Amino acid sequence: MIVSFENRLSRFLGTTAIFIAIILVLFPFLWIFLESIKPPSLGGRPDIWRFEPSWENWREIVFNSNVPLNILNSFFIALITVVISLICGAPAAYAFSRFRGFQGARYSILAAEMMPPAILILPLFLLLYKLELIDSRVGVITAHLTFVVPVVTWFLIGFFDEVPKDLEDQAMIDGYTRFQAFYKVILPAVRPGLAAAGIFGFVLSWNDLFYSLLLTGAESRTLPVAIAGFWTFRGIELGKMAVAILIAVIPVLILSYSIQKHLIRGIGGSGVKY
Amino acid sequence: MGQVDFKNLSKSFGSTNIIDGLNLEIHNSEFLVLLGPSGCGKSTTLRLLAGLESVSSGTISIDGCDVTELEPRDRDIAMVFQNYALYPTMTVEQNIGFGLKAKKMSPKLIKEKVNEVADLLGLTHLLNRKPNALSGGQQQRVAIGRAIVRKPKVFLFDEPLSNLDANLRLEMRAEIMKLHRELGATTIFVTHDQEEAMAMADRIVIMDKGLIEQVGTPTEIYFQPKTRMVAGFIGNPSMNFMKGEISKNSELKLPIGNIKVNTVLNLGEHIDVGIRPEKIKLADSKRKPNENIVTVKVTNIELLGPRAIVKMEHESGQVLTSVVDHDEIGKYELGTNISISLASNALHIFPKIKD
Repeated sequence: MIVSFENRLSRFLGTTAIFIAIILVLFPFLWIFLESIKPPSLGGRPDIWRFEPSWENWREIVFNSNVPLNILNSFFIALITVVISLICGAPAAYAFSRFRGFQGARYSILAAEMMPPAILILPLFLLLYKLELIDSRVGVITAHLTFVVPVVTWFLIGFFDEVPKDLEDQAMIDGYTRFQAFYKVILPAVRPGLAAAGIFGFVLSWNDLFYSLLLTGAESRTLPVAIAGFWTFRGIELGKMAVAILIAVIPVLILSYSIQKHLIRGIGGSGVKY
Repeated sequence: MGQVDFKNLSKSFGSTNIIDGLNLEIHNSEFLVLLGPSGCGKSTTLRLLAGLESVSSGTISIDGCDVTELEPRDRDIAMVFQNYALYPTMTVEQNIGFGLKAKKMSPKLIKEKVNEVADLLGLTHLLNRKPNALSGGQQQRVAIGRAIVRKPKVFLFDEPLSNLDANLRLEMRAEIMKLHRELGATTIFVTHDQEEAMAMADRIVIMDKGLIEQVGTPTEIYFQPKTRMVAGFIGNPSMNFMKGEISKNSELKLPIGNIKVNTVLNLGEHIDVGIRPEKIKLADSKRKPNENIVTVKVTNIELLGPRAIVKMEHESGQVLTSVVDHDEIGKYELGTNISISLASNALHIFPKIKD
């Protein structure tokens, strides 16, 4: 097969562009990793590439810092947020998918997403203060629900749209109530969607800095807040920060990879079908 | 048991009337087919009976018991959907047993009944498969199995054969009829395929625009259509129609000439006159009473194996279609004039529908 010059050129340019993009994305990870294994004395010296690797920063973070507690907090908060979001979001998404009295209704849930968090934070802060929930995991979970529930709901509408209505009709004829039909037949049919929406919501909560920074204290501090905390008055503790960043990023990478197939479908698949 | 009564049943979505004052009695153990063009309200009628849509006015009763307001699960019916609606996450065995589980039957009894049905439908070797690992015909069988395992009073079928290929459709058609004979339950079958309806039904209900046009046995529907719509809808190729009016002495004034008939219609009334293609014969030398001879030109011949469809045109421009047996086809030659005979008693006369 003869490949024309134009073809070869466009393939070469395409490959080069992708290669550059990959480097742009991956280089920071490499740099952070190198930073995490630099001896503390060389911390913050990006110009030094040859050094004796040291696990000092890792040891410090794992055994002599609050980071394990912060990880636990982040994990617990994200997990509970996701569980509550799925419990509220799945029936909501089902309702938006099935009952189409007002076609635009489903877009209203995105309104919560469009609002800048700064609008919510003040009332939320005052509310949690009155309830004595500042510096508590419950407080952060409440805040995270404000943006995870709408996202999870939006995400799931598209999946419910794809389940034929005949399935629940059949279940209702088979002797079940609509609610039983929903959780015995329809929910199992959207299991991949539930998993994907759950992971997506988990990552959103896990990565949140804004609410966590303002609502947590020593007890309930989450990992992103802890990472920001390495920027101290005495300078940035770059080595430790690098370790914490890697710990924060790795689960996100793994989880995102596991749902990549459903991610686009969930975000893009919720348009009303006429 | 399984007698179904619709009384003054109406259903409207917004200002659109889907079903308009439907009255129908379906006898116990009957195989009734609802037939009509798309959008005629036949599927909606079925869904109203199943309880999947709410009734706008009127009542539905099963065995004399008013079920109009009952939930689908309390009506003791089973339904087979066009796309089978098999539960995708359950195995064949779980699909069939799902309805029995709702009745809180013991797992042992459920297994027994599922096996019995699977045996009847030849599904035993597929019990552990998921629906997506089944062919269309097998999925159809599972859907039927799921319906019959519960032994309901009434079976509802919503165009269950339309997703199958032609051969499989014939096979499943025979199988459904056999099951109906064995189980003896009232069956209501929705289809838009007239051949299917003619082959399966004890009685056919022809619907159009939310109204019943005619109820009758397949023979009645075919040979004594009550309305122009029924006459035109049933039969393939469809009935020939000619526009005309009643002239003096009960004569029909038609494009192909005047024909004398017995009719109760009034002088000057506009009419549509229909004749089935197979009733148009070649005229032979012996003139029979009530026979009308017309000369037409053969314009097209379609050979369909055992028979052929012949199109012909009268000098007035009136087009007629005739069905001819294979051994007769030699008598028709493209482009030539032939004499055909229309028996007066084969004509169907319908008052003109005003547009």
